[in-house]
Amino acid sequence: MAVCVAVIGKDNSPLYIGGVGNDTSTDNELSRQWLVHTALDALEERLATTNTGNAGTNTNTARTDLRDLYLGLLYSTDTHKIYGYVTNTRIKLVLVTSSTSPSGSNIRDAEVRTALRRLHALYADAICNPFHLPGDQITSPKFDKQVKNIMMNNV
Amino acid sequence: MADDILFELLHSEIINYSLEQSKDNKEKKDMDLSVVEYIGFAAGYKIMERLTREWPRFKDELDTMKFICTDFWTCIYKKQIDNLRTNHQGVYVLQDNAFRFLTNFSNGHQYLEYAPRDIGIKMDSDGSKNLNHNIRSIAAYSIIKEIQELLGTLTLR
Repeated sequence: MAVCVAVIGKDNSPLYIGGVGNDTSTDNELSRQWLVHTALDALEERLATTNTGNAGTNTNTARTDLRDLYLGLLYSTDTHKIYGYVTNTRIKLVLVTSSTSPSGSNIRDAEVRTALRRLHALYADAICNPFHLPGDQITSPKFDKQVKNIMMNNV
Repeated sequence: MADDILFELLHSEIINYSLEQSKDNKEKKDMDLSVVEYIGFAAGYKIMERLTREWPRFKDELDTMKFICTDFWTCIYKKQIDNLRTNHQGVYVLQDNAFRFLTNFSNGHQYLEYAPRDIGIKMDSDGSKNLNHNIRSIAAYSIIKEIQELLGTLTLR
């Protein structure tokens, strides 16, 4: 199962970082932020290659693959796997799964893709809240609940 | 058709209302459009997240502009942009010959000075959308010749 989900703004500021597990522990919170932020470089790199790849000559199949919003597995550490998704509006969604737990280690790519797509839909709903100011952190408890739901059930 | 006119009426009422609110502060003729522009910005920011959700990644600036001129414009203004020109160095000129919020103006120069306030809301929804695409832009609009025509220039930096 996913241990952490993050929404990062286009200026790389964290809009939302949520995780399941020992929520109150400060260590846990910090390690989540650390995991997500180490993924940002990999994300940028992936985006850059996507752009230059499209400029060159590509086969059609490669092109559709590169133009997918879902970027796939960014990298994996001993304990975690980190997946990325960048929207057309440059909002970065990051999902971290634990490779030590049995449910997280044999997760399929398609499941992560679905989860991230659902997260994108939730994000689009959350910013349509009239009380949410553009660029602010997402504090909505409803969003939080739905994201936790995705993490527990789907992934 | 009836639901189209509702949005236009609401739009003109929003403009009137916000100008009425800001009238006390300023006696001069220049209008305080910041409220309207913020509405436009927020609406643009929110709607873009939805509109681009099912789209493949835009590969470059021109791709983004094409999206704005066709899909975005159709969604908001019920028609596509009439003319898009670019110098390929970051300047895009968008021309709309029958801009939705201006088509109800009568032809002639009588109301020309009032027209800018009606495009305030639009200008910013445009600006925010660009901003959302990580492109900093300066949008400047002018109404040319016939009052119903809108000429927008986007300078990307």
